[in-house]
Amino acid sequence: MDKKKVCMVGDFSVGKTSLTQKFVNNVFSEQYLTTIGVKIDTAIVDETKLIVWDVAGRDSLSPINLSYLVGASGIALVADGTRPETVDDLHSIWDTVEKRIGKVPTVVALNKRDLPEWSVTPEQIQSLKERGWIVFETSAKEGVEVEGLFTQLCRLIQ
Amino acid sequence: MAALSLQKHINKQLYDKWDLAYLYTDKNLKVVEVSDGLTLYGYPEIPLGCEVEDYVDFMVGFDASTRVDLPLVESPSGITVAVNLIPSKRGLAIVFSNASHLAEQRQLLQQKANENELLLRQQRILTHRLEQASKELEGKNEALREAARLQNSFLSGVSHEFRTPLSSIIGYTNLLERETHNPDKNPEAYANCRSYLRAVKRSSKHILSLVENLLDHGKLDADQIVIRPKPCDLHEVFDDIRLLLSPLAGTKNVEFTLQTNFEPGCMVIADDSRLRQCLLNIVGNAVKFTDKGSVTLKAELNRELLSIEVIDTGEGISKDNLAKIRIPFFQVADTGKAGTGLGLTITEGLIELMGGELVIRSELHQGTQVSFELPMPLLEAEALAMPEPSIDIDQLKVLLAEDDSDIADLLVMLLDEQNIEVTHVSNGALALEASEHEQFDLILMDLHMPVMDGYQAMEAMQKGGNTVPVAVMSASNLSEDRLQAQQYGCAAYLTKPVEIEEILLLANQLTSEA
Ligand SMILES: Nc1nc2c(ncn2[C@@H]2O[C@H](COP(=O)(O)OP(=O)(O)OP(=O)(O)O)[C@@H](O)[C@H]2O)c(=O)[nH]1
Ligand SMILES: [Mg+2]
Repeated sequence: MDKKKVCMVGDFSVGKTSLTQKFVNNVFSEQYLTTIGVKIDTAIVDETKLIVWDVAGRDSLSPINLSYLVGASGIALVADGTRPETVDDLHSIWDTVEKRIGKVPTVVALNKRDLPEWSVTPEQIQSLKERGWIVFETSAKEGVEVEGLFTQLCRLIQ
Repeated sequence: MAALSLQKHINKQLYDKWDLAYLYTDKNLKVVEVSDGLTLYGYPEIPLGCEVEDYVDFMVGFDASTRVDLPLVESPSGITVAVNLIPSKRGLAIVFSNASHLAEQRQLLQQKANENELLLRQQRILTHRLEQASKELEGKNEALREAARLQNSFLSGVSHEFRTPLSSIIGYTNLLERETHNPDKNPEAYANCRSYLRAVKRSSKHILSLVENLLDHGKLDADQIVIRPKPCDLHEVFDDIRLLLSPLAGTKNVEFTLQTNFEPGCMVIADDSRLRQCLLNIVGNAVKFTDKGSVTLKAELNRELLSIEVIDTGEGISKDNLAKIRIPFFQVADTGKAGTGLGLTITEGLIELMGGELVIRSELHQGTQVSFELPMPLLEAEALAMPEPSIDIDQLKVLLAEDDSDIADLLVMLLDEQNIEVTHVSNGALALEASEHEQFDLILMDLHMPVMDGYQAMEAMQKGGNTVPVAVMSASNLSEDRLQAQQYGCAAYLTKPVEIEEILLLANQLTSEA
């Protein structure tokens, strides 16, 4: 079976772990437990074994954390739709990622779509799309667009 | 270099007594050696010669030449490990060491740091919201203070407005009293009396219009004004405005021009009295605030749409004041021209009710243009062919129920002059009794009376099989009062002060129907 490494990248507490856990184990927890270093999970999508690296958001741009990305075939950039600054941060995060591992297929998850504090502007979404990324508005809590996100990423790297 | 670093690393781990484990592969990443400790971290037993990535997930994506340190990786056992990939000539060394201690410390610190940052962010948002809310409140406060100020100045304005005509009425009635005491009534004294009476009438009319304005304003506020369109001569409305305001313009040497594209006899369906009221206010203001030059009233009726424009060459309105003139009670200070400050508010409300929108354009020293458009259906030709009622009401017998003796005396006198026979009673019970004993042609009924009010009297008359038409006279113009009166079987509803002409018209209609 084909195996591919993908990485979840984005600011802390945006929902990287939640999206991964929802997708891999179909669970969600309201409680926030920050990820230390990296947690690796696997899931099979369309005959491909996805190795999902759920990387800590804190210091995600430090050289140490960047080493987790080596060998990745695709990237899922994750932001918190209720914290618009985490959406803007995606641009600089990806620039740093690209410097380390080159251009790889990328999808974007604007997460926590279920919350009323959602405040992503159309301009923000436009600027993400302009970089060629497919943007998903996800809710790990309600399982919205989680499948779509991972399936799309998998298709891009197959 | 690689071997040295491996040596150093291994040494350090050993030194710290970390649980060390390792895995060696060849250049093709096939496993060649596995240390004992690897299963402790939850990895399966790996047969030699197998591909490492089939057993160790995180190896997917790496090749034998990858040199990388993965400081904190959660192993399948849940224990956090540090992983070092060290390439060599023969292949790749993958070294695992226990990093749970470090992970625990990191966990505590990072959890706190992240939570703090989230809290701080939340706090910033809340502070920002609080600031905004307090700004908004401050604005509202200011608006309230302004409203209170306007209300106050309105009250004192209104009191002042009332005091002037009332003092004049009292003054002239005193004069009248003195004049009529005079035993030798010469023509000059009569002339004096007549001019005093005219002054009293003027002042009374002024008070009446003040009261009407105040009432209208209250009703507009309470959505109680009803527009009552009926057939009317549109040209007449404008001609009335000309007749009413030309004299005032004349005394100020202001040229007043009326331009219409329709002729006398142009019948439309409109609430002419409300339209007249609006025009009187707008054109009246234009004349009032123009001291030289001209005031032009233009009216054009095209395809059942009436466009009205009032243009003056007066002082104009500053930007500041233009923004405020729609506020109830607002009056431009220092013009020295009194009013209630309600006229424009009422006019705007009425125009809106009639389906239009008031537009005011003005600049200081540049004059003012006020315009609006109203839908105005034309009256169809067959409806025009109604015969003019001929007034022939001699010998009519009227019962008047009215508790206010001044109003009653006045009506009795005026009806008397028309050869109408009036019986006056002062409450509903007496009216009921009179109606049972005598045959009348019309009953004029006040609503609020002692002993038995108008409603009760009408109800009793209805039960008693009364067929004489009853006309209610009420101070209220509210539609629900009208409706209630209708339910009690009244034939007409007159609002006070009731003019004699209205009664005559009504008497004529009722008797010609009969
Ligand atoms: N309402 C809602 N809450 C979510 C959603 N996704 C995640 N959360 C919550 O957001 C918090 C952070 O989620 P995580 O998945 O731990 O975030 P993370 O990106 O992995 O954070 P780090 O590991 O610190 O980088 C947790 O309290 C989750 O319950 C979502 O879709 N909706
Ligand atoms: Mg996480």
